Amino acid sequence: MTGTKALAEFVAEATEILDALGRDLLALDEVRGRDDADPERVNGLFRAAHSLKGLAGLFGQERIARLANGAEDLLDRLRLGRLRLDDAVLDSLVDALDTFQSLLAEASRGEETDGLSRRAEDMATRLARLGSPPRAAEEDPLERLELDPQVRAVFTEYEEHRLRENVRREVSLWRVRAAFDLSDFDQGLADLNARLKPLGEIISTLPSARPGGVNGIAFDLIFGAQVNGDALTSGLLGTPAELFQLPVRPVVGAMPVATAASPEGAPSPKARRGGGRKKAARAPPPSEETAPPAGEGAPSAPGVPPRMRAVPAVESAAPLASDAGGARPEAEPSLRSLTQTVRVDIGRLDGLINMVGELLLIKANLQRLAETTRQDGAIAVSKLFGQELARETRQLERKLEALQEGLLEARMVPVGQVFDKLARLVRRIARDAGKEIDFAISGGEVELDKLIVEELSDPLMHLIRNAIDHGAEPPEARLAAGKSRRAVVQLHAEQKGNHVVISVSDDGSGIDETGVRDVALARRLVTPAQAAEMSRRELLNLIFLPGFSTRDRVSELSGRGVGLDVVKNNLGNLSGIIDVWSERGRGTAFHLTLPVTLAIIRALVVGVSGRTYAVPLNSVLEILAVRPEDISTVERREVLDLRGQTLPFLRLARLFHLPERPVGRHFVVVVGLAQQRMGIAVDELHGQQDIVTKPLGGRLRSVRGISGATDLGNRRTVLVLDVAELLEEGIAQERRRA
Amino acid sequence: MPRFDALLDDFFYRPDEDVSGLVDFAAGSHGVTPQAVEEVPEEYLSFLLEDECYAVPLLAVREICKVPPLTEIPRAEPWLLGVMNLRGELLPVYDVKLRLRLAEVPARVAGPEALPAPRAARILVLKTEEGPAGVWVDSVQGVVRLKPSMLEAAPPGLRGERDCVVGLGRRGAQLYILLDPELALAS
Amino acid sequence: MRFKVLIVEDSKASREFIAATVEAVDEVEAISTSSGFEALKLLPRHRFDLIITDINMPDINGLELINFVKKNPNYRDVPLFIITTEGREQDRERGMALGAAEYLVKPFVAGSLEGLLRRYLKLP
Repeated sequence: MTGTKALAEFVAEATEILDALGRDLLALDEVRGRDDADPERVNGLFRAAHSLKGLAGLFGQERIARLANGAEDLLDRLRLGRLRLDDAVLDSLVDALDTFQSLLAEASRGEETDGLSRRAEDMATRLARLGSPPRAAEEDPLERLELDPQVRAVFTEYEEHRLRENVRREVSLWRVRAAFDLSDFDQGLADLNARLKPLGEIISTLPSARPGGVNGIAFDLIFGAQVNGDALTSGLLGTPAELFQLPVRPVVGAMPVATAASPEGAPSPKARRGGGRKKAARAPPPSEETAPPAGEGAPSAPGVPPRMRAVPAVESAAPLASDAGGARPEAEPSLRSLTQTVRVDIGRLDGLINMVGELLLIKANLQRLAETTRQDGAIAVSKLFGQELARETRQLERKLEALQEGLLEARMVPVGQVFDKLARLVRRIARDAGKEIDFAISGGEVELDKLIVEELSDPLMHLIRNAIDHGAEPPEARLAAGKSRRAVVQLHAEQKGNHVVISVSDDGSGIDETGVRDVALARRLVTPAQAAEMSRRELLNLIFLPGFSTRDRVSELSGRGVGLDVVKNNLGNLSGIIDVWSERGRGTAFHLTLPVTLAIIRALVVGVSGRTYAVPLNSVLEILAVRPEDISTVERREVLDLRGQTLPFLRLARLFHLPERPVGRHFVVVVGLAQQRMGIAVDELHGQQDIVTKPLGGRLRSVRGISGATDLGNRRTVLVLDVAELLEEGIAQERRRA
Repeated sequence: MPRFDALLDDFFYRPDEDVSGLVDFAAGSHGVTPQAVEEVPEEYLSFLLEDECYAVPLLAVREICKVPPLTEIPRAEPWLLGVMNLRGELLPVYDVKLRLRLAEVPARVAGPEALPAPRAARILVLKTEEGPAGVWVDSVQGVVRLKPSMLEAAPPGLRGERDCVVGLGRRGAQLYILLDPELALAS
Repeated sequence: MRFKVLIVEDSKASREFIAATVEAVDEVEAISTSSGFEALKLLPRHRFDLIITDINMPDINGLELINFVKKNPNYRDVPLFIITTEGREQDRERGMALGAAEYLVKPFVAGSLEGLLRRYLKLP
């Protein structure tokens, strides 16, 4: 393990922990102000901070370790009920996460700036100072729970706290015993957990001390049920679980509170000691009594351990919903789904995709062979053979497509990953800017290639900052304009065919295009003559020009030297395109159009001046055959008439400074992204092919109009056109000539 | 990552222990192996450019290959001949003759109008900070060992663009013009 | 290898460091896992000479694992170390009460784990 590898590993694991922290924090933020934060969430946060501390300690990342220690402390107090989860605590945790992320970013670069060190120290101090007085000490409710001291001895402090809380809230507590085969008990337990989770809280999972035979193992789950005994029983039908209710003595001096009529009155000492026993099984065990009247299984008053007997499966399969109102509504991810996830280095997936690319080449060759054999099949045998070969090749093609699809899917992650991160920052930005913002996210489930998702956070962050900073008006101004006090900023993702469109919109003041024009003129980005001819849309698009920055309106938030031109470039690197819509007084929306994946694409292979290029098919709208006389010139620029619409026309040979050959007709590849359209003239069409695009790499990153290269077999390297950039250039040329 | 080292030392290492397992675990994290200090000849790879004899440190050469088909990059700087595909890896190939003012125009070696490469021509794949890159050479001469005492500074007239000639090596009658790969390939 | 040590720790980095420490001692093989469940499965498959476990783990906690080991006649003589985090006194005390032999505070002090290993495996 080399130093950098160890660091990379630290960064990878820490990133994962921080992501988990972020998700849980966001979930807590959603129920802000309510007193029923999911204890499992809080415990999850605690565990994350705890792991982070251990991890950072091991790798000598002291700053992270120290802050994690503070966070762990705070979260420990929270989960043990010594601290209330109020706004101040939540805000501090969100800020702490932010600090962690900055610390990690520095650590990954091997840096340690003083500014950040101070911030981390301040943060730790702030976390340590948080605290609300603990609840008045009262009698320990746990004393009322009859539980084998040996069982209690293996509880962690946290589990004990959760048990105490459950007793305090008079939740009925159960010991759920289940025996499994040693070979697959984790699966069995995961199934059992999945069944139990919607019905209440699993406080602890104890491997039973009683040896379960050579190949068996038993577990006791301590469970706080949100549903009554019947619902619990039927919920566990088909599992090997046995139920024992844990007796709780009533509070001293208080009358037993009867939620249902207690059929037996005071508990008998015998029943108290043993607890009730109930087996959830497909069929009643033969040794037990026959089905009792349904009423007998009803829950009794707290403190009264009911005796339960097996009931016929049909009867006890009564609808759970009737009494499951107290259960948590959302299904928690089960233990099983955790163990079914594999973390794969994206580089390995890239390797596999490259491999598929090579297979695709071989397939193309096979197909050609098969085709040749079939057509030249002069002899009967060879013709038959040709057909056979063609059939097998088609089979191969289908399987390859499936493999390719599977691999691409493996790279897909929901955009929600980056949305969640952004959501956390919005609150702080809004607060700092003195704006009141409602942030709405939708379409987080839309999936994109992981590489694209990762590159998205910076551009989106910038746009959101802009929306809050420049778009949304201060509350008073909004009220004066007859709008609601709080501005709405929306982040929305949507799949449209081969593309995903992500929009960032606000209902703020909109962009003043005359202001944009004035700035562009002042910065000599356009001439007055050009500006005079520009449509509103064209004027708005000037904000993406390098050197354009409405500095007089830039606050310290967005004024970080990064303009929209950088956002646009970042998107361009992802073969994406950005578009702006704005209406004064109504708001602004940025639309980002992105390809779903960058890895394998279907491409149109074209020839120009003897060279071969590939055009990603996802941006090709149609292909026209055009005679030279169909090309007309409007204001010295070439255009085509496409069904009554004027289409900008670009000769690839001319753009690329290649020797132009006289041709009787051009093929025009009509490309489009977002609202923009353009015709690109080429000499020949060579057909379609699946290609694996390789980036040109560091040294060639600055090459314009080319997004990468691919291999078309015979060691022939073919460049892949960057349609977004070409569109850009075409439009810019028009603008220059105008 | 020196911290990692220190940490490992702190954790596990005592001089009198057998720590072979640990050393394996930490292999590579030490980075530097102690170097002998006496005058050791350094190995250079020598090659011809327009009949002049040049050399680069052998350590900077990743591999030498025959000239594959090169794909020209439209609108690139003239000295970028094109890209080559080396076992799936895309590498830019440069013509340093332009930089050394040995030629006025780049050789026409990429694209459909390319002339076939001379039999002796090779591409040197050099390792640089910015990643590997190919350099066209007219022929490869061989490996030459030069001691520090055989090296001298380059006369001012010989430095080429960007000072990529860093010195001369003299071995017997043969003179080698020493190139710095980083400077020669700086963009 | 004369000795086998089971390491139960859910943090990958910690686990690897502990494994490396353990394996740096002659004749000791480390078998490590990230989960208590997996540990329960490994127990009958090997004859372990020592077990090192974390307390906070996602499936079963370390105390439960200790209890399981110490109550089971097949394993109860295997010495068991707890890895704990400073400040978690109660968890540590409970672990010791359940029969753990030693505890280590994360992150460990130099050489402490190795010294303990040698002591319990009766190595020079």
